[in-house]
Amino acid sequence: MEKHLSEKFYLAMKKLEPRYPNKKALILPALHQAQEEYGWLPKEVLEEIGTYIGVHPAQIREVASFYTMYNLKPVGKNHLKICTNVACCLRGADELMNFAEKKLGIKCGETTSDGMFSLSEEECLGACTTAPAMMANDEYIEELDVNKLNHFIEKMKVLKI
Amino acid sequence: MRQNTLFEQHFWKDSNRSLDYYLQNMNGYQAAQKVLKEMNPDQVIEEVKKGNLRGRGGAGFPMGMKWGFIPKASEKPKYLVCNADESEPGTCKDRQIMRYTPHLLIEGLIIGSFAIGCKHSYIYIRGEYVNEAKLLNAAIEEAYEKGYLGKNILGSGFDLDITVHRGAGAYICGEETGLLNSLEGKRGEPRVKPPFPAVSGAFGCPTAVNNVESIANVPHLIRMGGDAFAQLGKIDKSGGTRLISLSGHVKKPGVYEIQAGSVTLRQIIEDIGGGIINDKKLKAVIPGGSSSPILTADEIDVVYDVEPLMKVGTMMGSAAIMVIHEDTDLVKLLLRITKFYAHESCGQCTPCREGCHWMESILHKILHGEAKPTDLDLLVDVAQNIGGKTLCALGDAAAGPVISFVKKFRPEFESYIKGQKRYA
Amino acid sequence: MPKCTIDGKEVEFKPGENLITVAKRAGVEIPVFCYHPGLSVVAQCRMCYVEIEKMPKLQTACSTNAAEGMVVKTQSDPVVKGRAGTMEFLLLNHPLDCPICDKAGECDLQDNSFGHGSANMRHTEERRTYVDVDMGPVIEKNMNRCIHCTRCIRFGEEVAGIHEMVAIQRGNNIDITTIDGNPLQTEYAGNYADICPTGSLTLRDFRFRKRAWMLKKTSTICEGCSKGCNMEIQHEGNVIYRCVPRENLEINKYWMCDEGRMNYHYTQDEKRILNPRSGATFIGWEDAIQTLKDQINEKPLTVLVGSDLTQQELENILEYTKNYHKGSSVYHFGTEGVFTSAQDLPVDKILKMKSKTSNLNGAEKLGIKSVQEMKSASDVVLVFAGGRANVQSVTKKLEGKKLIGIGVYSLNEAESFSMVLPSLSFTEKDGTIFNHQGIEQKLKRAIQPKNTIKAISEILMLTANKKVKVGAN
Repeated sequence: MEKHLSEKFYLAMKKLEPRYPNKKALILPALHQAQEEYGWLPKEVLEEIGTYIGVHPAQIREVASFYTMYNLKPVGKNHLKICTNVACCLRGADELMNFAEKKLGIKCGETTSDGMFSLSEEECLGACTTAPAMMANDEYIEELDVNKLNHFIEKMKVLKI
Repeated sequence: MRQNTLFEQHFWKDSNRSLDYYLQNMNGYQAAQKVLKEMNPDQVIEEVKKGNLRGRGGAGFPMGMKWGFIPKASEKPKYLVCNADESEPGTCKDRQIMRYTPHLLIEGLIIGSFAIGCKHSYIYIRGEYVNEAKLLNAAIEEAYEKGYLGKNILGSGFDLDITVHRGAGAYICGEETGLLNSLEGKRGEPRVKPPFPAVSGAFGCPTAVNNVESIANVPHLIRMGGDAFAQLGKIDKSGGTRLISLSGHVKKPGVYEIQAGSVTLRQIIEDIGGGIINDKKLKAVIPGGSSSPILTADEIDVVYDVEPLMKVGTMMGSAAIMVIHEDTDLVKLLLRITKFYAHESCGQCTPCREGCHWMESILHKILHGEAKPTDLDLLVDVAQNIGGKTLCALGDAAAGPVISFVKKFRPEFESYIKGQKRYA
Repeated sequence: MPKCTIDGKEVEFKPGENLITVAKRAGVEIPVFCYHPGLSVVAQCRMCYVEIEKMPKLQTACSTNAAEGMVVKTQSDPVVKGRAGTMEFLLLNHPLDCPICDKAGECDLQDNSFGHGSANMRHTEERRTYVDVDMGPVIEKNMNRCIHCTRCIRFGEEVAGIHEMVAIQRGNNIDITTIDGNPLQTEYAGNYADICPTGSLTLRDFRFRKRAWMLKKTSTICEGCSKGCNMEIQHEGNVIYRCVPRENLEINKYWMCDEGRMNYHYTQDEKRILNPRSGATFIGWEDAIQTLKDQINEKPLTVLVGSDLTQQELENILEYTKNYHKGSSVYHFGTEGVFTSAQDLPVDKILKMKSKTSNLNGAEKLGIKSVQEMKSASDVVLVFAGGRANVQSVTKKLEGKKLIGIGVYSLNEAESFSMVLPSLSFTEKDGTIFNHQGIEQKLKRAIQPKNTIKAISEILMLTANKKVKVGAN
């Protein structure tokens, strides 16, 4: 079978193996590690993880699809996840979402045609006392307002990262 | 930062998270030293019981008792699992602990592990806390280097490893058995109880699952002694201090520390939170995370602790207070809350899987002027068919807000149904 | 024994028994969907609510073990309301397409809805729908009908040993399926249809062939291998429509394999020989018996018997050869490579055994030697077989001999024989067999023999008689 996951992936897993009483417990860490490499989790990668863990590939898909952070479809280079839960909602999250949709020209749940941005709604991020908050890829941006959001999107566009 | 607090005075300064700071300014690892050198596991559990330390995750269960349930005679490995999923909307206090006082958590885990006979402890942290997981791992590495973790800790002969396990976006993993399934590499679906985790938890072994704040309190408790810790609480059964997450329409939202049972909800909102933004009128308060039944502006003269809140028909939960002012549309807010629980329902048990989504649909119809007059009672009846009927507490979490919102703010819902109000 | 009280009746129980089991013993049926005695308990469907004294909330009977002095109510108002609530939730998204559903008539959802649900519907929203993927030749899937009981997932994981049925997504969006439209790999897939409490997983082989309530049921034993799985032949108008497993905790528990389930087809196949045949032509019984008599004529014979025959048939054959063909030798045959019960090992960890015939153990009990020990053979060889024994494995060893087949044969098999006299298949006869554990079990006639086929005992009797006179049949 052709390998899709890197040496780095297997090294990271080797390091984690002794920390759990069985290999199955490595499913979540493996999915995180693979997503870090690919940005999302293609079918072949899920299958390879199944082979590595020693379970049926359906089992990997079953687990991965339960959690919202695992992308089973490709996402944009910058994934903006705006929290719209209670605390953020009370502090104007809807307005931020509307702004982001207009600014990026996409609806929540979509990716821009150039693949630069994906926009989604996030359930509570646990940053309620600094609401509204969003996650941009792995980073939290808190006490957000339209200006801050605009500035962030502009910066990403210029940096093309 | 308010001084003379156990936690709060150390927040918001990045340099405070280092081991050096912890050793110099927080009597770092002295409690662990005392426990490992001078105490036996039973004495530790006894001391924690004396301190009236109750769980900070939501249920408020006495922690010493929980540890006491772990069967000593069992030949199997035992696990202490730290619940750092912090998923109840409104809650963000554990994040502060992990960001600014990670060694407090590590020391708490050492003491707790010693008490229940655990050799490998896991911190299950929500997937979104990428940065916090990194900070924890860095602190753990520091602790290994200095001999606070690993083999023969502080020369006591006691061994402990700690592993940070990241979740991946699922509210239900804050439920302890959902969390354990997730730790084991499964879907985070809650398990049927019994067996309880104390008998068969992580990997089929006896397990105690405790919230971050609960565990981080243990070093304080041991250092000052159970009696003194209990006296920090100004109310029966609750010892120590409580971290509260104050959010929504207050002038100064934030994570604050109060002595348990020392203030009322009104004092928290007005004195600590500085009152309502733009000096608006208070309309309602969600007092203990989004699953707690809502309180009206007239109901906030209640001591903010477990039993007093229970008496007024709500709960303290994870001590997340969301303050709501007069301009807020509660129909829309309830739809938002219900949508959350429908989205987070794991789907295994019938009332929650089908009912939460149905409640969301009914609320959507109400908000958009498509509902019949009978739909409001239908909504409450559906909520009652969910509440108390589900496998885990998510059903109750979803039903409680619906029942309380409609009961206390019925005219707002009716004005949509009658077409007097339209969704903008 | 400890006791508890269910609906006012005192019942004894063994520690560890759940309330469903204990209630059943007291004659109280508690409705269930996700609970299955052969699978782990998950308490997901929330149908089996009961009220227990001193407990504030309703409890699920499946996950509650009986305890000394426990007082249980299964018909109280909260219980009735709780079950009605669950029924309403389960039907929110169910299509109610019973008129075109194969499960209708034997559907738990139908039964429990009738018993515990409401005739009115308060839900006016659009139903949840799915596009179904293919799942291979055995099972037809209809996710719209699914009530998420997860019996299928647990069956795959816990019984079939393959985690191929999974729940994808979560909450209200869960799809229970194999991934990417992969066909089911397990050789026990038919059980998915049996345990599905609604028409979400149905048997393709049975699809649209008969309404369940029209079927007559005959309890018998599968002849597919030496396991001896207990099963039921379901038939109507002398036609078999399907076979399903019957509970036997000592042998097959609740399950059977697909091979055994589908095995009955050959008995109704158009290639099965149903009239005596000489060479390539069909002849009458009188001619057939006369020809047989002429050819074997009291000489010592080599007689081969399939280990798929019943004890009674084997005994008749032994008796016949002892009395009419002194000096004959009788050998049993069945599966290539499995000549003795010592060689008959499990094929998997589930049910299947290596011996593809059901009565190897019985043949050995009668002292019949294995065909492996046959050194030479008479010019004319009699081959008795019940339909499962591998006939080709012996005919190829006997090239140049004149072979006469008595039993269940297909046209293909008949080519090696000079003559075939058709007899009863396992669906058409009563008899005794011994499974690999040595457990004695009974085959039961489900349908009447077709055409003019005759029992082996009758064929032997006619052959033994001086005068051939075959009555109208």
